[in-house]
Amino acid sequence: MAIDKQKAILFGAAAAVRLLLFTAFPSLPNLLTGRVEISTPVTSFKRLQEGLFLYTHNVSPYDGGVFHQAPLLLPLFSLLPNPSTQPFATNLLYTIVDLLGASALMQIAESGQSVSSRLFTSPRKALRWSNIAIGASFLFSPFTIATCIARPTSALANFFVLSSIAKATQGASITSILALAFASYLSFHPILLFPPLLLILYDAYAGSSKGPSNPLAFSLVHIGGLAAALGMLLYLSAILTGSWEFLAATYGVRLLLPDLTPNVGLWWYFFTEMFDSFREFFLGVFWLHILSYVGGLTIRLRQQPLFVVTSLLGIFAIFQPYPSIADSSLYLALVPLYRHVFPLMRYSFLASSTLLYASFLGPAFYYLWIYAGSGNANFFYAITLVWSLGLSVVVGDSLYAVLRDEWEVERPEMRGKEVRRI
Amino acid sequence: MSLITSLLALRRDARLLKIPPYLSALCVLVGIGWLLVLPLQEYSRGTYVSENALLPGQVHTYFTGSEHNIFRAYRHEVAELVHQPLEGRNQRLAEILRSSGLKVATQNYEYSASGRTISGQNVYGILQGPRADATEAIVLIAAWRNMDGEINHSGVALVLTLARYFKRWSLWSKDIIFLIAGDSTAGPQAWVDAYHDSHSPASIEPLSIKSGALQGAVAIDYPAGPWGHRFDKLHIVYDGINGQLPNLDLFNTAVSIASGQMGIGCTLQRMWKHDDSYQARLQTMLRGMISQGLGHASGPHSSFIPYHVDAITLQTVGDGWHDEMSLGRTVESLFRSLNNLLEHLHQSFFFYLLMQANRFVSIGTYLPSAMLIAVNFTITSIALWVQSGRAPNPPSPVSTNTKPSEAPKMIAIDRDGMVALIPEQYLTIIERKLFLPLAFVGSAHFLGLLPLYIFNNTSESSLTLTFHATTFLTLLLPQLTASALSLSPYRPSAQETILIQCLSLLLLGMFLSALATLNFSLAFLVGILATPLTFVRPTSSRPIAGLQTLLLVAVNPLVVITLATSYWAGGDVSQLRTVLVAAAEGWHVWGLWTQVVVWLVWWPAWFAESVVVAGSLFGKVVEAKSVKA
Repeated sequence: MAIDKQKAILFGAAAAVRLLLFTAFPSLPNLLTGRVEISTPVTSFKRLQEGLFLYTHNVSPYDGGVFHQAPLLLPLFSLLPNPSTQPFATNLLYTIVDLLGASALMQIAESGQSVSSRLFTSPRKALRWSNIAIGASFLFSPFTIATCIARPTSALANFFVLSSIAKATQGASITSILALAFASYLSFHPILLFPPLLLILYDAYAGSSKGPSNPLAFSLVHIGGLAAALGMLLYLSAILTGSWEFLAATYGVRLLLPDLTPNVGLWWYFFTEMFDSFREFFLGVFWLHILSYVGGLTIRLRQQPLFVVTSLLGIFAIFQPYPSIADSSLYLALVPLYRHVFPLMRYSFLASSTLLYASFLGPAFYYLWIYAGSGNANFFYAITLVWSLGLSVVVGDSLYAVLRDEWEVERPEMRGKEVRRI
Repeated sequence: MSLITSLLALRRDARLLKIPPYLSALCVLVGIGWLLVLPLQEYSRGTYVSENALLPGQVHTYFTGSEHNIFRAYRHEVAELVHQPLEGRNQRLAEILRSSGLKVATQNYEYSASGRTISGQNVYGILQGPRADATEAIVLIAAWRNMDGEINHSGVALVLTLARYFKRWSLWSKDIIFLIAGDSTAGPQAWVDAYHDSHSPASIEPLSIKSGALQGAVAIDYPAGPWGHRFDKLHIVYDGINGQLPNLDLFNTAVSIASGQMGIGCTLQRMWKHDDSYQARLQTMLRGMISQGLGHASGPHSSFIPYHVDAITLQTVGDGWHDEMSLGRTVESLFRSLNNLLEHLHQSFFFYLLMQANRFVSIGTYLPSAMLIAVNFTITSIALWVQSGRAPNPPSPVSTNTKPSEAPKMIAIDRDGMVALIPEQYLTIIERKLFLPLAFVGSAHFLGLLPLYIFNNTSESSLTLTFHATTFLTLLLPQLTASALSLSPYRPSAQETILIQCLSLLLLGMFLSALATLNFSLAFLVGILATPLTFVRPTSSRPIAGLQTLLLVAVNPLVVITLATSYWAGGDVSQLRTVLVAAAEGWHVWGLWTQVVVWLVWWPAWFAESVVVAGSLFGKVVEAKSVKA
């Protein structure tokens, strides 16, 4: 009961902060919506409005090449009153989505999967933050708040990813797969989370009284389920827009990167510099690079599939074609689940200072480039490199810490010893 | 390999923690020294025009002869208008511009800041360039009153004459806009805001006629009365709002034309006597830095620079033998150069420090000094972070305490065949409790919003009183906070005290290094004034804590503002009010953010450090005593 009261206070405070920011600074949402760090071509709220306008005027929303988001968002947002005149309903929707995401995150924390999965229990499992603290670190993270105020559709995708993980840890196959289907439908790359999520689900089933089922049959059933859910969503979209052209305008854009608007990722600058003849090759290389992490991490960290999901989200926040701080906020929300390996991390101060510096220098350099005209694109790209470096240090360092934690179970005599390169 | 292990072993060495304060001090000293060598011949460069299209001073100027009579007539017209009401005056000015064949419009504006209303009217006329397609324009400005409040008789008359004269030429490939602004700061701001459709329509009228993208702007400040006054030098004012500067090419073109073609000496930053000595150069540079750091409007041109329109003001100073026609020819030649531009000025520097009309240093040369100052905070912050992870009572290697019961626990380390005994405390990293420090530093930064709001919204009459009250409060607040914290259940431990300082210095270093890329001078000035914050530490000795408190009182942002104001005003305390009113006006009219830096960067850092020191002044942080080792 006491926990519930704390949770109510936390959610109340988080909702109050968001609604207060929305109402006290009416120009803030539009300002943040225009920031390239938060809104990308495939998630921007402004572009959603453009698509919505075309949709309500019975024109294909993908005409004009501005709108690149999933079609099913259109009927959802057309139900809400116009956000330029009556923004309250939209603001409330995004606040609720954040709260639901936090609630899912707290369920993940509650499941204890991060410290003890079916196959592995960390010797440091006593060292944990409470669910409330983990929820608070998500809800009060400046990145999450900025994302909520700027209202990109990646906030919705984040919520679906979090609930998919939460349901997987509880062993609720159908909801988990459905949530993953929604997340993948909205932002495509979450489909890569399927292998580790399947392992979480399998572990949940194997650990329960039902007894382990045949792994092959288990995977086939779930793959079939995911395919069916995705197929249904896509089919509904096709009915809604009247054709299959949305596939090229949404997933095609994410795959082939035709829109080179700057963002915090590594792709845009690289592809502005690219000769056209090499474009296809490097697109392939970049995508292969992301894909390569899925198999490797899933196999190496078979004992801790939740950590695979976490690390993959960090990798997506760095290497996906259109990343934004919404993706980083999702990753940084899951990192506190691994509080028990923090003492093993070696660069936490360096990484957090780098992220902190980059998040202030980024807007400053963007200002110099775009508004003051005294800088150029290299300024901003340099700082996005630093930002990505900071995130990769967090990903790499946490990976090191988790592996070391596993290793110390096998070799208890090495506890507390320095690592040495041989 | 063995190097890496020995470096790793060194990492644990307690002596390593003694280095950072010296390293920080070294950074500050090198940073200041770096700035001081810049005026030397070897470190500064001569200016040069980068943009080939400008061709300064290559054209013959024809603004002579009978134009002089027209100028004198207009000057008397202007003198007649001085006593007329605003409407009548601007009607007449519009009439004159219209009779020269220009399209003319007016714009009303009204701002309110610190309980005052600033209102006026701008008149402007557009000359459609015979070879132009209305995609680009250059602006010639004369404000009705200059920055000192004098009526700009000859400046306005010269703009009217030049409008009539320019209209006759067929060679303009850009439109020329002649703007007679109601005053020197709010008028041009209202006009340029409305030109780019970013005005607030409630108080500022939109422009009824417009031309293309603005490529440059030149303002004339020549307040000589109806009977004229011959001047000695041209004072070129180039500072924009928030320390943004125009492209150096525009400045160089103006200097090159005035001194090379017309033989008029140029000066800058109110250095009326510049003998090209080291002192004079240094003084020019420092004046430029202070002006840039304050970020206030320094002339009618200032408002244009944030819109990426390069702009300067030509101000006449002194008694000499140059007359209005030389100034007119300078402006003519400058406009011919700007007319040649094929693209926006971009070749030359946007970040520079000038130390004479023809010597400068560019950003690559001077930026390290501000960065070093900012880095000094980061170094100390990293050192404090490491220190906060050490066990609270590290035994000193030469401890006089030899009681066997308190002998430190030793650990034998076998590495590369050698064995070392190291106290265990050196090897364990204790857990850092981050919640209280984070919450404290975060709320200190939020607390800064309060004075920011108050000073921007207090009426003029009570502004000085509010300022003194705030000074008093902020001097008292750290002691109050420290004693309140020590009585509350959240009493900070020694580690948390260190972490408060660590985080606040980390933020300060980060803000200043980001700021150094936007406004070098402001980052440098705040950095220098905040340097003592690096070196204060919680201590158990009361005299030292008292000295530290005194030092902190001296570098309190508000005390610094009061002292600096009375120093420049020669002890006149009432000038404080002028400064505060200008700051509030800057906030509401020009979009000045110097006060944001003061209240949200500088003051919170000062407050956090003062609380840290005040904690030890009251002897409440008991654990801190044991830290001294």
